[in-house]
Amino acid sequence: MRQTIRVERLLRESVETPYCDLVTRSTGRAVRTSIQQALAEARTAVALLDFSEVGLVDLSCADEIVAKLLMDPPGETFLVLQGLREEQLEAIEHVLEHHDLAALVCESGGGSARPVGRVSPDLRTAFFTLQEIGSGTTALVAERTGWSVSRTADLLSALLRLRLILSDGTIYSVPATA
Amino acid sequence: MLDDRSFEQFAQSFAQGALTDRMLFDARTAQWASPFGLIGLLTAAQAVHEMGGPAPVFTVPTADEVKRYWAKAGFFAHAARLFEIHGRVPRLKPAEHSDVLLDVTPVRASEDVHSVVGKIQEGAARILHGELGLESKATMGFAMALSEACQNIVEHAGTSGWVAVHAYNFRRRLGRRVVVIAVSDSGIGFRRSLEATQSRRFGDRWGDGAALEAAVIQNVSRFRDPGRGQGIAGIKRYLSRWEGKLSIRSGTARIAIVPPWDDDEPMTEHLAPFPGAQVQIVIPAQEGTAG
Repeated sequence: MRQTIRVERLLRESVETPYCDLVTRSTGRAVRTSIQQALAEARTAVALLDFSEVGLVDLSCADEIVAKLLMDPPGETFLVLQGLREEQLEAIEHVLEHHDLAALVCESGGGSARPVGRVSPDLRTAFFTLQEIGSGTTALVAERTGWSVSRTADLLSALLRLRLILSDGTIYSVPATA
Repeated sequence: MLDDRSFEQFAQSFAQGALTDRMLFDARTAQWASPFGLIGLLTAAQAVHEMGGPAPVFTVPTADEVKRYWAKAGFFAHAARLFEIHGRVPRLKPAEHSDVLLDVTPVRASEDVHSVVGKIQEGAARILHGELGLESKATMGFAMALSEACQNIVEHAGTSGWVAVHAYNFRRRLGRRVVVIAVSDSGIGFRRSLEATQSRRFGDRWGDGAALEAAVIQNVSRFRDPGRGQGIAGIKRYLSRWEGKLSIRSGTARIAIVPPWDDDEPMTEHLAPFPGAQVQIVIPAQEGTAG
């Protein structure tokens, strides 16, 4: 199951402002609390945080919302960021790199996700290989990439720790965003 | 002329007497003031007010175009509450499409930062992209830098402050047009803000200069939250992309991230003491842009 959370709507409910900018730490804290409440109520496998109606995202607010949600993940729900413009994504990547974090991002309306933040080229390759095959074992990803099984296992474990992919213990997959 | 450089003469005079003394701010012969100068004057008067001193006397500039510019910049509207004003103040309506992108605006709480950022974006796009030749995406980064600079007041100063944003020709130092953000408060300053967490690390070196070094160069914050300290880092990153300049004065020291077009000192210490912190961000027109 998938849940879409419109961040701009939560902003307007949390803060009295005629503008739609995500600025200041106190705003970020208020919006994060609203997101956590929404996630706790819905308990879905994947939650899309939709930024498409949001204006400016400053670093303080990005830190309070995105970084803190990723550092204290909401149960089993996978977070995917959607509808980000280039400048908004830049602010979010800045805070992700600051904390050694990564997040999944996709375009508005779903589509395939991509990892942003502290993600090495090998991790990206492992992610996109898995995305291409849909789901698979370590051996299958190793075969596709030409890497050793142990190297592939390490990379898939790292992607799992960063909450960029799912696993049932044997089969790995990229969360469905569409 | 009152800008970030000549401000030191003003600070020296201001430091001469006690804040509880009756002061005279004589602006009769003033020719021009940058946003940094204008909100610096208000900060000084605010510090006097907060110490319970008598309202300083302020004599209005004699030159008509000077006082009209100061009025257009919103200076007198706020000065009236902090000074005993002597002289005739022009009554002007705020002009649209003016070089005053943001008139003197108080920053007291998070809501003020929302308002400042919301108001600035249209004008900033017009000036940054239309006049200074920056890519249109530079507007968002500009608003982000403004937001982070204003938040320093809300998060750290312990009192309210001021912000103003103007565009003007920076002929003498650069020969190009610039946009300048000035943010100032009369609060506790960087040294007191960071003292509890940083003074031991610096030992004998601890002071206003070391505190600025910790905050601006090492991106240190007084909060133990590892997410703190990104605001100034983000401002520096934005400015490095557009050859901008950042300078921060606090207490008796001043630090600057100096772009190639400027010859400012990276660190100046033993200045006259001045309350709080004063931030200036300068973004120049890109080379080859008319202005």
